[in-house]
Amino acid sequence: MDLTPQPHHTVSSFDDEMNQLHAQIMEMGGLAKKQIQKAIASIKKEDLDLAKKVLKRENKVNNFELNVDASVNRIIALRQPMASDLRHIMAISKCVNDLERVGDEARKIAKITAKFYGGDSTPPNPSLLRDIDNMSKYAQGTLSDALEALSRWDMDSALAIAKSDEELNLAFSDALRRLATYMMEDSRNIGYAIDVVFLIKAIERVGDHARNIAEYIVYAVSGQDIRHMDSEEAHESVADVQNYNSYK
Amino acid sequence: MTVTISKKIKKQQKKAELAKQAAKKLAKRHRQEKNFRRIGLAAVLMGMLFLVILFTDIISKGYTAFMQTQIQLTIDFDSNRIAKNIAKNKETDGETLYNGNYRKLVSDALYAKFPDVTKRKDKKLLRSIISTSAQYYLRDLAVTKIDTDSRANDSNDLQRNIAIGSGKSAADAESPSAVQYQINSQYVGQKQDIWVIADDLFDMFHKGFYTAEGAESERLIKDNYVTWYNKLLAEGNIRTVFNFDFFTNTDSTNAELAGIWGAMKGSFYVLLVTLLLSFPIGVGAAIYLEEFAPKNRWTDLIEVNINNLAAVPSIVFGLLGLAVFLNFFGLPRSAPIVGGIVLSLMTLPTIIISSRASLKSVPPSIKDAALGVGASKMQTITHHTLPLALPGMLTGTIIGMAQALGETAPLLMIGMIAFVMSVPTGIFDNATVMPVQIFLWSDLPARGFMVKTSAAIMVLLAFLITMNAIAVILRKRFERRW
Amino acid sequence: MTSNTQQENDHQSIAARMINNENFKTIGDISAKKPRMVCKNVNVHYGDFHAIKNLSIEIGKNEVVAFIGPSGCGKSTFLRTLNRMNDTIDICKVSGSIELDGVNIYDKSIDVVELRANVGMVFQKPNPFPKSIYENVIYGAKIHGLVKSKADMDELVEKSLRKASLWSEVKDQLHKPGTGLSGGQQQRLCIARAIAISPEIILMDEPCSALDPISTAKIEELISELQQNYTIVIVTHSMQQAARVSNRTAYFHLGKLVEVGNTDDIFNIPKHKLTEDYITGRFG
Repeated sequence: MDLTPQPHHTVSSFDDEMNQLHAQIMEMGGLAKKQIQKAIASIKKEDLDLAKKVLKRENKVNNFELNVDASVNRIIALRQPMASDLRHIMAISKCVNDLERVGDEARKIAKITAKFYGGDSTPPNPSLLRDIDNMSKYAQGTLSDALEALSRWDMDSALAIAKSDEELNLAFSDALRRLATYMMEDSRNIGYAIDVVFLIKAIERVGDHARNIAEYIVYAVSGQDIRHMDSEEAHESVADVQNYNSYK
Repeated sequence: MTVTISKKIKKQQKKAELAKQAAKKLAKRHRQEKNFRRIGLAAVLMGMLFLVILFTDIISKGYTAFMQTQIQLTIDFDSNRIAKNIAKNKETDGETLYNGNYRKLVSDALYAKFPDVTKRKDKKLLRSIISTSAQYYLRDLAVTKIDTDSRANDSNDLQRNIAIGSGKSAADAESPSAVQYQINSQYVGQKQDIWVIADDLFDMFHKGFYTAEGAESERLIKDNYVTWYNKLLAEGNIRTVFNFDFFTNTDSTNAELAGIWGAMKGSFYVLLVTLLLSFPIGVGAAIYLEEFAPKNRWTDLIEVNINNLAAVPSIVFGLLGLAVFLNFFGLPRSAPIVGGIVLSLMTLPTIIISSRASLKSVPPSIKDAALGVGASKMQTITHHTLPLALPGMLTGTIIGMAQALGETAPLLMIGMIAFVMSVPTGIFDNATVMPVQIFLWSDLPARGFMVKTSAAIMVLLAFLITMNAIAVILRKRFERRW
Repeated sequence: MTSNTQQENDHQSIAARMINNENFKTIGDISAKKPRMVCKNVNVHYGDFHAIKNLSIEIGKNEVVAFIGPSGCGKSTFLRTLNRMNDTIDICKVSGSIELDGVNIYDKSIDVVELRANVGMVFQKPNPFPKSIYENVIYGAKIHGLVKSKADMDELVEKSLRKASLWSEVKDQLHKPGTGLSGGQQQRLCIARAIAISPEIILMDEPCSALDPISTAKIEELISELQQNYTIVIVTHSMQQAARVSNRTAYFHLGKLVEVGNTDDIFNIPKHKLTEDYITGRFG
């Protein structure tokens, strides 16, 4: 009997199914990312049509969620995955939730765009939207980093994402402080400001979801659950596992 | 367009061609299979045909040996006729009477039956229709000889009773070598119709092995003979009865008297010795080799040698017996003990091999189970392995015994071919065995012996078939599936 | 295509290096909470073949330890060294120490018969004796002289069969042959036979490999019941089974103990690459 481990499963159709599942989640991730991009672009460019497009495509993301869940169920029932296979599948299953939420955030942003520029009322003071530019850059960057890491199951870049999310959180609290100042300066801004808070909250949530995805990647690869840890602790707990997996 | 169509057609043609070839191959394969089956069947049928021919030949030749032809004669048991000197003593002396001339009684009876036979030559021929055993038969009817040697000492009363009519018996009764005679008044002094055994030639003629056709000078059965036969037959003086003598007599030079009892008993003693020697030794060796012996070059060598031993021609064992047991150890010649030892040597490999096979067939899982609950090796063997292997061992042993029963060659070498007229009473007595008896008889010219040969073969085959049947039954009954 | 074979070659050579590395050490904690059986640096040779290489492990009280690994990795061999079943094989040589409650079982003063009474065994194929169910259960106790009277014997048979959850199925046919039972019942009969001599440790060599899923489930249920009174070491080819029944799992590879640890960890986050590849089905 040949006792050499192989880079792939003995049952090759299992590999195929795993690859398909991975492709599905990557496609879903791409869609969610595009939704966020377009939603943010719509608010930046005051583009009502684009916002409507985003709202229209939202159910596409939801469909992806259903499909991936079905695939996950099938693989668990038929293949009884263990160890890293199981962790990868569970990670994907959780990523689906987060990506669906990212889609929801895109919808929220698009709705606010529609509200701001739908013509019922005057558009808000542009200075209120000043932070969106900065934050969305961070949020989109983290999300695409997370998706990049997910596509290669790259634990190192996933660990780095946690850091960039922390920066986004700082930017969010800065923005909140600024909004508070605006509101105090001119009470007419309050109505708009509340919507803007929702808006930047949505953008901040995207970063959180990206961070979650990164955490699932670390769990899938190392088996270490780094949720609710700061990045230093996470690095430490993962370090000893990496020793055993020095080759791949 | 046309190119693709022609390609398609070519492809189809190729496919059809392949299918054709495949069909051809398939047909060939089926044919081969059928032929093979036919050849096998033919082989089996051929074997059965030979067997049937053999059996019909033997049975058709031999079955008459189980019948005995007897002739009824009117015998006049006149004391004076039996012993001439009685007239002087005027006293019926048992011993004298016992030693009398009973042949004369037979001759006289014959002459009385055929008064027209007067020529000396004819008279001699006439006398020859009755077996020579007739005179001893008549003697035993007239006088019972009792050998007190073989009697228990406390049977004096019986001896005294028997001693009636024996003058000196009272004095001799005390001496251990005394022989007593009892005259049977039922016969002596009477005229009786007695059935006596016919001579071999007469017997064969009666059974139809000889005919009275052709020129008289060229045949064994003369015209006179036929006339006498016809007369006896017409007067109801010929009968055929079941031949008990065949089973109770020992070998004889007279075909009508020869029996297989001595050979059967000899075979029994030989097999007894063989069984007692080869079974324990064979099973012991098998158990050691299978369960205890380390697997190394020596045990391999022993195994190879045992297998070789099974293939050694049996005559070699006979030579070995002659050289070692007779010449070196000085054991008695022609005795079952030596025959048994020699045959044990021959059957040992069979028993060892079959015993090892049956030990091997006990699944190791059973042994593991026993060891696993803490049985020692000895307990494992005695509680589990042996009981499960025993039917197989017994089967092998019975087959080995059957082999030994049919063996001739080695016994010839150790002198069991001797003409033995006495029945062996122990393993040190002179004896012969069934197959040797068959061999001896087959060599004799008399027609009667040819028939006896076939009959003896039938008896031997019956024994062999019985033994093999027992082996099969044992195997079937105790065979386990696990 | 070329890169693929290249990759596989790399993979194989790395695996070979890992296995043959002299300094290789078992990953995970080999010690048990309340150790009963302590194996230290055990080596087993079959002639020239080095079947078990420098293996150390502890087996604790009331613990179910599962041995897993590919065929020929030495897990069955090692199991059989634990009650010296390998003694029957001439060319098998065992070195190192295996201590049962502090006594080396390979010591010359140890009676192997007594050892096997303490360390019972259940085999891969159900192997009841071709005798009655009653005889099967009582045999071990009889040869060890544990029972004298008929009443004792009846009681022991019932107790053992009850423990093996077979009593209700066979109580009316105790004197029928054990070989007439179904495969699962036969295996439970073998377990009853093993526990009739009240061992402390029960070794099970792939006890369910010849059984259907329902019988397997019954045996697994039985194992978890027996765990309260016995220490169980089980060799299995079914990883799901190891995951279901055991507290600790040990992964064997080419005669080495690669990794040992709590079953949860082994099946969830195996540390060694070989363990991972084996349990996720990545073996050639």
